[in-house]
Parts: sequence; C-alpha cells; structure tokens
Amino acid sequence: MLEIKNLRVSVGDKEILKGLDLTINNGEVHAIMGPNGAGKSTLSYAISGKDGYEITEGTITYNGKNLLDMDPNERAGEGLFLGFQYPVEIPGVSNMNFLRSAMNSQRRYRGEEDISAVDFLKLIRSCAKDLNMDPEMLKRSVNVGFSGGEKKRNEMLQMAVLNPSLAVLDETDSGLDIDALRIVADGINRLRGADKSILMITHYQRLLDYVVPDFVHVLANGRIVKTGDKSLAVELEEKGYVGLGVAENAA
Amino acid sequence: MTLKLYLDNPEIGSGFDAVKASLPGADQADLNQLRGDAMTQFLDCGIPGPKVEEWKYTSLNFLAKENYAPALRNDDQDEIKSLFQRAYMENIAGPVVVFINGYINRELSSYPDEKGLSFTVLSENTEAFRAALETKEGASALNNLNRALATDGYHIDISAGTHLKQPLQIIHIATSATDMRSLRTRTNIMAGANCKAEIIETFIGAEGERYWGHMISDVKLDEDADVTIYQFQLQGKQAIHMMELHASVSDRATFTHTSLQLGAEISRTELINSFTGEYAQINLRGAYLGRVKQSHDIFTRINHDMPNCQSDQLYRGVLDEGGKSAFQGKVVVARDAQKTNADQSNKNLLLSRKAEANSKPELLIYADDVKCSHGATVGELDADQLFYLRSRGMDEVAAKGLLVAAFVSEVFDNIADETLRTSFREKTGDWLSHEVTA
Repeated sequence: MLEIKNLRVSVGDKEILKGLDLTINNGEVHAIMGPNGAGKSTLSYAISGKDGYEITEGTITYNGKNLLDMDPNERAGEGLFLGFQYPVEIPGVSNMNFLRSAMNSQRRYRGEEDISAVDFLKLIRSCAKDLNMDPEMLKRSVNVGFSGGEKKRNEMLQMAVLNPSLAVLDETDSGLDIDALRIVADGINRLRGADKSILMITHYQRLLDYVVPDFVHVLANGRIVKTGDKSLAVELEEKGYVGLGVAENAA
Repeated sequence: MTLKLYLDNPEIGSGFDAVKASLPGADQADLNQLRGDAMTQFLDCGIPGPKVEEWKYTSLNFLAKENYAPALRNDDQDEIKSLFQRAYMENIAGPVVVFINGYINRELSSYPDEKGLSFTVLSENTEAFRAALETKEGASALNNLNRALATDGYHIDISAGTHLKQPLQIIHIATSATDMRSLRTRTNIMAGANCKAEIIETFIGAEGERYWGHMISDVKLDEDADVTIYQFQLQGKQAIHMMELHASVSDRATFTHTSLQLGAEISRTELINSFTGEYAQINLRGAYLGRVKQSHDIFTRINHDMPNCQSDQLYRGVLDEGGKSAFQGKVVVARDAQKTNADQSNKNLLLSRKAEANSKPELLIYADDVKCSHGATVGELDADQLFYLRSRGMDEVAAKGLLVAAFVSEVFDNIADETLRTSFREKTGDWLSHEVTA
C-alpha cells in the first residue's frame, strides 16, 4: 500500500505540491489527471527520489516503509518502478546489459541470488515478444535512436522484466499512436494483479479506455481537488478542467 | 638570464658509476661503451623541466634530485605469484613472458615457439642487447637514460608472411623490493612484410612502493604488416610509469596501439609514429582513468610524411576527485603527403569538480589535399542518465560505473578478440568500485 500524506514539494524556491494526500491499496489502479503545471511529474519524481525535488513536509510510505529515507535505487528494490515521460538515452549501454544490471541490483538489494544468464535471456525474450518488440532492439543502446513510441514500449519492457509491485507511470501514453497505445495498455494490464499498485499519470482520458482505473483523481495547484471513478475522466474530457471548476494554473 | 629547460641530475651520474659494473652485460666492453655514451648524452641534457613544451602537464621536478638506481632481482614467490595472477589472462591462449623488476623470469615464462617468429630476451643474447643499446639519432634525454641503465627487454623478429596464431602476452611485474628504484627495459619489434601479430603487454606492481617503470619500444612494420599492441597499465598506486614507443610504418601496413591506464601515480605514454610508405594506417586508441593524486599524460605524434596514409586517434579520459590528465596529440602532414586522412578525438569525463583534464590537439598541415579532423571535449556525467539508472535499481557506484564504461567503450569496440575486449571493458567498469586498480 502506498500512502502519501500532506506532501509538500518544492523545486528551487517554488512550491509545486501543496499538501497532497493519496492512498493506493494493493490491487488498485489509480489515475491522476490534471492541467499543465499542476505538479503531476513532480509527484512522480518525489515518489521515486529524484535530486532537486525537496520534500518540505509530509510523508510517503510504501508497505509501511518510509520511502523518503531511501535512495532511488533502494526504492526500486522495494518494488517501485517509474515509467518516464521522457525516457533517457544512454549511448554505449545495451538494453540487455542495462536490464540485467538493474535486475541483479534489485535482487541483491532483496538478498536474492543473481539471475542466471540463461534465465534472464528467456525472460527478456518472452517479455519482448509480449510487447511485439524486435529482439534486435535488446542489443541496441538504451533508447538511442528509438522513436517516441519505441521508447515508451521500452519502458513497458523494463516494467515487465522488473515486475514491480508499485508502478508510477508518468504520461506513458503521451506521443503514442493508437497501435502503440494499445501495446502499452496491454503491458499495464498484464502487470495488474492483487499484489500490485499502479498509478497512471495522464493528460488524456484516452489511455483510460484501455486500462480502466479504480479511481480517478484530479490534481490542480499542487493538491488533489477531486476524486471519483472512471466517469470523472469522461466528465473531464467533456467539460475540461475549467468546466469542472478547476482553474488552469497561471503561467 | 637564460631559461633552463632541462634539470641537471648529478645523482643519476654518480649512481650510474656505482652500478655500471653490475649491470647485465657488464663483462662486454662494447656494451659498457654504449651505456657510458648514453649516460653522457643524458647528463649533457638532463631531466625535462616544466618549461619543456612536451612536458608542460607532467612535472618531473621531483626526479631531479633522486637517483632511482636499477631495481634488484627479487624472488619473493608469494608476492610474484599474486601479482602475476592479477595480470595474466589465462583465457587467452598463447605464450607468456614475464619480467620481474626489470629482469626476465624463466620459471613463469613460456617463450613463444612458432615458425616464422624469433623471440629473444636481451639479457640472454649479447647481439640483441647491443642492438637495443645502440645510439639513436635524436633520442630523447629519457631514452638515453633508459639506454644507459636498461637491465633487460626483448627483441621480436617476425618473418615475412607469418601470421602468428596466438597473441603474445608480456607481463612486467614490480615487487615491493623496488622502492625508490627503477625498472628500465627495451623492446624491439621487427615485423616482416605481410605478417600479422598481436602483443598484449601488462604492467603491474606493488601498491605501496614508489618505483619508476620505464620502457622504450621500437616497432618497425614492413610492407603490408599488421601489428597490434595492447597495453594494460595497472602499476602500483605510487609508481611512476613511462612508456615511450616509436613506430615506423611502411606501405599498406597497419599499426594499432590500444592502451588502458588505470594505475601509477604519474603515467606518461609517448607514442611517436611515422609513415615510411603509402596507403598505410596507424590507429592509436586509449582510455585513462585517474583519481586522487594520479596523473596520466598521453603524448602522441603522427608524422604524415608520405601521401595516401590514414591515422585515427581515439582517446577517452575519466577523472575522479584529485585526478589529472593531459592528452597532447600532434599530427604533422608534410607538404607532399597529399590524400592524408587524419582523425583525432579526445573526450574527457570529470566525475568531480576537483578533477582536471587537459587536451591539446595540434595539427600542422602543409599539404592542401587532405582530410583532417580533431575534437576535444571535457564534460560531466549526465544527471538524468544517472537518475534513470538509479530508478531501475542500480546504486550510485554501479550506475556511474556503467556510464563510465559506456563512455570509454568506443575505445575498445574494434578489438576482435572478445575475451580481450571484455577484459578491457571490465577493468574499466570495475575501476569505480575498486580502490585497488586491477
């Protein structure tokens, strides 16, 4: 269970999140929607522990453990996965080598043995196949020369291989055509399960047609201002944030 | 007042007088004569000082008052064994030749025995030793010093048309009995027409001692020869490592030098290359990684005296807190060397604000139909890349290690032998997480 209480986060001198509360139980899929500048990405970085996002107040715990005391890699070891809005290119590091290092780092953190080369190869090939991904992409440098859609698909591959119990997906659907969106949605649905918590951050209702959330939250001005079920997303799509009484952030 | 460029070192002169009677080959009058002449030439010149342009990034002031007498033979088997095991690549089949404190070690060596290859250890062959000590026109002061005091080395003759089936491993070990002493060796490689050879050279030594490892190599490639030298510099933390190599490359021949600098407090790799024929190629590649008190200095020169030749230089440096480096790459394209193609790239990664990388590309082009390029950069690790890796579970050291390995990986991309390529990459990747370099 992910529990965020009264979270205040500043970047530089600017307070972005202003007392955010959110609880995601195991087995639940939540969606957070919100206008530009509402603090959606800030929330994902605060949960995953990126430098430069200063927590001035509040708590984030996962299964009772204080995530704020942990380094980003320790949070990953506890089962957190962050799907990046803009996946980073890493020249010179092959996808395969990257994922195996990541996986073994997490296993060591949990006191488990490294995965054998053979088992890893089987796993990554089967995950790539599920995502309809060309096995050649596994040999290429991480995200280098990948199209926007390929990068997002690569995020889904990483998620499938690492099999997190808590996934925070930051606009994983942005920039995808309809086919890629389906593949990404299938990836999220495959992860879904009784012991998984999933938080999708999105601009559009579109993704939610394919991955039906249990809860939809509207984030505006650094707080959650409205919570509902899937119908809230539909309502948002029709009326817009202004129509719902959620003012756009002044730039 | 005139500026004094070179520093006198009378200590070395009197030190030489004290040891010359005990140097290998001291019973041979002509060898003594060559050594004595070399010492005179060195003393006439002295140690290059800070105002000598080629040495502006590595100060040798500290050498001016020290003697650094030749190291003594040593047979502490346990220590030798452990250093040997760190250096020896057992996955690479082939002969191995081991020098300890600058002297051949027969027990650990298995001399190459292949048709078309003649391998000679200098201390075991007066003629080869004499050839190695002979006066070299225009030799540097330190080359002359090496000639005067060289204790051993090897001479390789590869006959025309011979393709060596296995690489030759050479391991230079400095034990803990080398404190304030020098290890001076010389190498001659004569590559006959259309031959092919690979040599893997590893320098390793005790961590706690200040010793001066100093090797001079002369490599000559005849027509169509293909020679590759790999060097792993894993010297002890307080060592001084100096390597000076001269290569001359004839028609259609290819000379490749790939090095990795991880050890020593002060390292200097000097590669002086000349084309003596057309349509030939010289590839110089290297990575240097330095931290606390370490300084790596790569000095290359490529003389494009002949037309239609290609040279390619690729160097990557990684400097952590307290580390310092210099890359000086000089390419001289003579007036008649048309259709020259010379590339040079030097990129540096600083892992700390308290690290220093100097890069000095120098192109002198006197021909008008040539393609020459050079690029030099100094940068830092990308915070977004680091966070991306860490968000996937890698701790800071592992994530940095992966990025560092990726940064330098290009240097080793062209190594055909996978075991060797992996060895270069692993040593690089491990560097961040290992206090001891090996």
